[in-house]
Amino acid sequence: MLSEELHLSDQDLLMAADGELSTRRSEQVRVHLAGCWDCRARMAAVEGTIADFARAHRQVLDSQLPPVAGPRALLRAQLAELAAQPKAATWRRFFQFTGAARAVAYVCLAACVALAAGLLLFRHSGVSQTNLPVAFEGNAVPDHNLTPGATRRIAISDVCAMPHEEVIRDVPTSVRQEVFQEYGIANARAKDYEIDFLIAPGLGGVEDIHNLWPEPYTSPMWNAHVKDDLEEHLHQMVCAGKVDLSTAQNDIATNWIAAYKKYFHTDKPLAERSYLLFAISPHPL
Amino acid sequence: MEIPSTDSAAELALAGTTTGASSARPSAIEREVMDLFEQYRNPILRYVLAIGLNVCDAEEVTQEAFLALFRHLESGKSRKNLRGWMFRVAHNLALKQRHANQRSRDATTIEETIAERQADPSPDPEEQLAATQRRQRLLAVVSALPDSDQCCLRLRAEGLRYREIAAVLGISLGSVSISLTRSLARLIRADGR
Repeated sequence: MLSEELHLSDQDLLMAADGELSTRRSEQVRVHLAGCWDCRARMAAVEGTIADFARAHRQVLDSQLPPVAGPRALLRAQLAELAAQPKAATWRRFFQFTGAARAVAYVCLAACVALAAGLLLFRHSGVSQTNLPVAFEGNAVPDHNLTPGATRRIAISDVCAMPHEEVIRDVPTSVRQEVFQEYGIANARAKDYEIDFLIAPGLGGVEDIHNLWPEPYTSPMWNAHVKDDLEEHLHQMVCAGKVDLSTAQNDIATNWIAAYKKYFHTDKPLAERSYLLFAISPHPL
Repeated sequence: MEIPSTDSAAELALAGTTTGASSARPSAIEREVMDLFEQYRNPILRYVLAIGLNVCDAEEVTQEAFLALFRHLESGKSRKNLRGWMFRVAHNLALKQRHANQRSRDATTIEETIAERQADPSPDPEEQLAATQRRQRLLAVVSALPDSDQCCLRLRAEGLRYREIAAVLGISLGSVSISLTRSLARLIRADGR
């Protein structure tokens, strides 16, 4: 019999029951269980409780499920309707839906608004930004004349459907060079900067030079890693319905550092990433 | 949009005829989405119901998740782990909907009420009573868990692997394992095992 200290942990037992252990560890657990009545009894309790919970989960919820035929027919019809539309990227569909003339008008309007916002920000930035610890951090916030932010029209369901890797995706090398040149640092070392989206793709931002700027990794406080955290957090808050998409876009485009402080309720970057769990917490930050 | 109003119309369409919402032959992606619908509609619906949506909202969120899947596949994006992808979309949409329904009924009350009135298949009244009480006890423990732990447990009950659960909830693999272990310990304690 193995000593008390060598008994299997609850986590090992659960992972073994769920088939989540590595082959080697799984074999070790199997051998241990063969010689330890105590752990076998605990394993039986784990498996029994899992089975009972899974049964209860299904019994209670299955009784609420509506018949499948109606939703199936509805989905089939909706798919047929979607499939009948011309195939194009989502942002291109916007142009097709609205017609070229209206689309051009929207684009012009958006450009005017962005320009006006950029000018306003530029005029007032002297006051607001001197209060932030960015004066010595180079381009911790973008030049709003060069990077006012640019978005596409996107459904909230599409925003929330984005996989994580797309939310934080990288910019192609050719575009990176273009942005470096725009900011007058064509010879910058790529590893020192993240060519970052001002408004992240996960918030409807587009890969457009007006939405990209070279954000230093090396800033001691407000750097690209910190902004990545804000982007992920805002994406999850938007999908949890805690923040409007337009508000998130506006806040991050106006001043992402101020947005970080607002949404994380802090004056400096958080050291840990535990806040990601708040996306499924009932209590807002 | 024309929607078949009867189950028989839907079943005819399912049988592979070209009748239904569109006279065009369904594309390969449409067929693939419908296949996945057959496979995952109930698990997704159960999950979004379990995290507190009413039946109408849950049905709507589930439909929206499959429409998002169609758009995802149509745009040629990754087909890797579509089950996890769909649960992630449904999870996000459900949280958004739940937030919008702040005044809706409390999920705990719903489950307990349903568990109380649900008939047990066991013919023995004593066994039936014991099974019902046990189910109520387990569900009451689950309802008292933090949201993140409930989500982990419900997703596992729907057959998702730890890696998939981590991706759906945006947490680490270790967090999933710790969360499930913690929840299970509470269930075992409550069950007096």
